[in-house]
Amino acid sequence: MEIDSDMSNTIKVGDFVVVQRQGYTKLHKVKAHSRLILGSFNIEMDNVIGEKYYDTFQMKNMPGNRKLYTVEKVEQTNSAVESLSIEQSGADNRHIPNNAESQGLTKDDIDKLKDEELSSNIIVEQLISNSKTFSLRTGYSQEKYIKKKEKKYFEYIQIKKPSIRIMGQMFYRQDPTKTLGIRIDDLSQILTYANIHQEGNHLLYDSGTSGLMPAAITNSIGSQTTGCLIHMHPGNECQKNGFVAMQFPIEQAERCINVNLYSVLRCYYQQKDSFSDSSETKSDTNTDQNLENGAKNNEESEPTSKKARLEEPNQKKSWQLDNERACKILDQKVDSLIVTAKEHPVNIVKALLPFLRGNRSLVVFSLLKEPLQDLYFYLKSRVDIVSIKLSNNFMRDYQVLPDRTHPEVNMNYGGYILTGFKLIC
Amino acid sequence: MSFDGYKDEINEGDTVILYLTITQVYSIKAQPKIVNKKGNEVENVFQTPYGALKCGELIGKSYGTKISLSKGWGYVLQPTPELWTITLPHRTQIIYTPDISMIILQLELCPGSMVIESGTGSGSLSHALIRAVKPHGHVYTFDFHEVRAKTATEEFKDHGLASYVTVGHRDVCEDGFGEHMTGKADAVFLDLPHPWLAIPHALTSIKTTGGRLCSFSPCIEQVQKSCLMLLKLGFQDIQTLEVLQTQYSVQQRSIPVINLDFVKAEKDGSEPEKKEREMMKTVTGLPPASSPGHTGYLTFATLPPVWCRSLQISLNEEDILTSVD
Repeated sequence: MEIDSDMSNTIKVGDFVVVQRQGYTKLHKVKAHSRLILGSFNIEMDNVIGEKYYDTFQMKNMPGNRKLYTVEKVEQTNSAVESLSIEQSGADNRHIPNNAESQGLTKDDIDKLKDEELSSNIIVEQLISNSKTFSLRTGYSQEKYIKKKEKKYFEYIQIKKPSIRIMGQMFYRQDPTKTLGIRIDDLSQILTYANIHQEGNHLLYDSGTSGLMPAAITNSIGSQTTGCLIHMHPGNECQKNGFVAMQFPIEQAERCINVNLYSVLRCYYQQKDSFSDSSETKSDTNTDQNLENGAKNNEESEPTSKKARLEEPNQKKSWQLDNERACKILDQKVDSLIVTAKEHPVNIVKALLPFLRGNRSLVVFSLLKEPLQDLYFYLKSRVDIVSIKLSNNFMRDYQVLPDRTHPEVNMNYGGYILTGFKLIC
Repeated sequence: MSFDGYKDEINEGDTVILYLTITQVYSIKAQPKIVNKKGNEVENVFQTPYGALKCGELIGKSYGTKISLSKGWGYVLQPTPELWTITLPHRTQIIYTPDISMIILQLELCPGSMVIESGTGSGSLSHALIRAVKPHGHVYTFDFHEVRAKTATEEFKDHGLASYVTVGHRDVCEDGFGEHMTGKADAVFLDLPHPWLAIPHALTSIKTTGGRLCSFSPCIEQVQKSCLMLLKLGFQDIQTLEVLQTQYSVQQRSIPVINLDFVKAEKDGSEPEKKEREMMKTVTGLPPASSPGHTGYLTFATLPPVWCRSLQISLNEEDILTSVD
């Protein structure tokens, strides 16, 4: 967060960037000679390398290939609304016929215009002068027409650095299932209700948010801090998109331990001696820890030592080391539990709650309300959870323009969040 | 001193959250004596619907445990910014957790961030900002009300947060955030009656590498003026939204069922005389009968780095031009 050195603001090969064209954004990894497909544009991205973040580039058609574009850095832009002079407007729409014959240009004509490497301004101008009804439209309507057409032919893109905000909105807009239906407001509340901050050990079970959840938690834990995240996932590999795009410093990224839900719990319950002894004084530390951890853990501490010991002298696989690291933390218990699952949450919460310390919070997200209602009754039936709340959000965006301010026409529906505090019983 | 980091045991002077029921949550101070209105030292007793609690007796107890009251029981929890928000003494209108969460995520705060807040108000948002930016970040918070600024300063000290926050008594619309703030902030938050007057000052306070701004306004007219100012000054990604949270009461309901099959056949005396009324059980989450339908509009914007601000201003001109008529 210190004043960035020059290089960190320069777009480099290997960087993950967010490419924005008007309201549309896309994640892209910068490589030498890479191309990006953005809507109907196939863009050669080489010219962004070495330029700075937030710079704006103009897409220029490559001669000979209508779909292929290159980009050039721009210092100044001219928008269509400014540069076009509208001579005549109507008072209302009473004379405008409702048919498709108002545009004189055919699709081929328009493609031709695009071929001639003309800017979006000129295309829009041509569209207007060939529209039979444009001059009949009201001033507002003309403006709307220009903006609509300009949007289609808008030729500028901007390069941004990925952030949790940008990616959260981008994934959700592209497809809500990419984040299990977690909208930006849901994400923001999951983080606050779970009290995620720079210290503590946090536990997440996430069955697939494109890496957004672990990235958001790791981001909130911060760099050069003490916090740690155990990220449990159901597959062989976790979804990483959102996480790698954040390009956390190694020190920070390493404090997110990705483990498979089944294998880490198996390790915890069946290979206790693989992680509960940190040094050579095996027996000593073992008994100490068991005393500390009380009866519950003792029951589970029958070692299946044969296998483990046989493998020990050889190099352990990295997933085994991760499991052991995670188990060590689970043994000390964690400071928050977050579940963002496709699966029914009751069994997951049942299995993970023993690892949550008392006086700490639990947050469960689900796109559906009913599974959380089931979870509510389960938690009520335990005596150690209080302040159980089930909520969802109404969120909407506004168009803000003088005399034309109103809610955006389209809106969507987020999911449900259940929160609670665990007690010490 | 119970706000900085996780704690297990209640120490003297800690702020403690007393949880009785979902609607009865209070913040109390774990100290045996308190100075009353007359200036005399008296025993610190907190009256609850379930009996009186001698606050001094909490010292040494563990957070997250049950405590007995004469007519019931309660639980003591360590405060979090969220618990503090629902229990703090109101000196002004406050911002609640759904808005706070959105503000923190959209301002892109993380440990190390430098953030400006104005006004401080009752410190509801400030506590969450501090949690987001500590240990190496800092919150600079300003209020034009002298007593409020002073009370907030004392409160942060009392909560053990003084090293993460600086409170200033200042009218930021008139005087800006001060020269020492120039180019220092990653993010600026405004909750002011005339936010558009403070936006130019926000511009000078944000780092040359750019940053985020948020303005919270209850009225749409304030939003319109702010958005216009943001456009003129070259901000981009201007987004206005509102978030409202609904809390559901999860219940199992029994619903009476009417069976109408018998009307089709004539009575032949074989029907049982009086049937017990049939009931069907269903689980539901009920929204409250009424709840707040508006808190405030949140307007967010990005200030791009210095190297592309003039370009952004020219891009924004379109929106300004169209808004003149």
